[in-house]
Amino acid sequence: MKFVRNIIAVLMSVPKVLMPGLMSVLVVLVAAGCSQPNHSALYQELKSTNKLVLASMAIKKTVIQENPEVFLLGKRVAVYSFDTYMQAYINLSELEEGDLVFDEDNRRVTVTLPPVHTELAGRDMQMRKVYENIGLLRADLDSKERAWMKEKGSASLRREVEKNPEFRKQLEESARNKARSYFESLMAEQGYTADVRFRDE
Amino acid sequence: MKIFKWMLQIKLTLLLVAVAALGGAAYWFFAVRNKPKIEVSAGKIDRIQTMVRLSSMDIYNEVPVVDTINNKVICAVQKQRGSISFDIEQLQVDTVGDTVRIVLPREIVELYESTEPDAWEVIDTKAVGPMAFLHSGKLSAGEENAIKRRIAAKSRRELYRNGTVKRARTEAAQNLTQFAEKIYQRPVVVTIDATQH
Repeated sequence: MKFVRNIIAVLMSVPKVLMPGLMSVLVVLVAAGCSQPNHSALYQELKSTNKLVLASMAIKKTVIQENPEVFLLGKRVAVYSFDTYMQAYINLSELEEGDLVFDEDNRRVTVTLPPVHTELAGRDMQMRKVYENIGLLRADLDSKERAWMKEKGSASLRREVEKNPEFRKQLEESARNKARSYFESLMAEQGYTADVRFRDE
Repeated sequence: MKIFKWMLQIKLTLLLVAVAALGGAAYWFFAVRNKPKIEVSAGKIDRIQTMVRLSSMDIYNEVPVVDTINNKVICAVQKQRGSISFDIEQLQVDTVGDTVRIVLPREIVELYESTEPDAWEVIDTKAVGPMAFLHSGKLSAGEENAIKRRIAAKSRRELYRNGTVKRARTEAAQNLTQFAEKIYQRPVVVTIDATQH
């Protein structure tokens, strides 16, 4: 990984007339470093899951960067925002035979579902520019600064999600309600009245 | 003569002090006073969406990015997170004899930037082309977003090309069969929508 990053950094510093040739070398090197040729990812991990995703929450973060105003040079203020997604799911592989108890006489079924879990699914790739005020003689914001702003926003969100159970609670509640309505209607189609519970309730 | 030498030493010392003071002031101005302040708002719940999606694959990618837009090159590394899931509220279900037949709907491929530290690491940007020396190599937010859309599209194509989506469909069909057999208490056959490619 570091090796490839170093190669990329070296390529960026060479004269532009040599770029096309050297870019081909980079592609060959990246491909050679992977187990499968022509694989574009440096690293890929695939994990088989058996999740039933029931709710997703978009959490908005706004980041403000401000450099002190310099006399005659002007202001340098930038405001950007992005969404991070948190999802709630149940693991279907935890669902056992005994979790569905049918009462054929009364056409009722008791469904006991596994506990609801939550996780951060990811964040928007793009950032929304909310506001920018860059003085004529001040430097424009660059990609590294925007990446740094996003990093600060993400770190703050991770701390918030850890400390503030409110996000998780709201999402879990929505997921439970959705699961109840889904299983009730699914069972109603079979002619049963469902009583949906959760193992951790 | 001695006095002259002594005066010269004082002058030199004063000059050194003045240079150090100027250097200190310049450092304070550029490195301390001019240091950007960052303020991050509290997270605000924008929307909650409910769904019933069977997710059969979690994806974690780390991709190198060397791309050009408007004669500017960006070099970066992105960590991606994603999943392949199926909306099971859209299932087509019918019964033939004792068997329940289910058609798996088209997959939903979601790709995001990871929430891990340094998920978008910019290594360098520069201007290219014959007039490179005349313009800045800095990308605007719009240009950066356009590059990121291209990265997402490329990664998505790769998931189809390298068989990940096919594998996700097969695993989803197996998982759905087991789940549906518990619900319907009958044999279940899950097929993949023939219109999928």
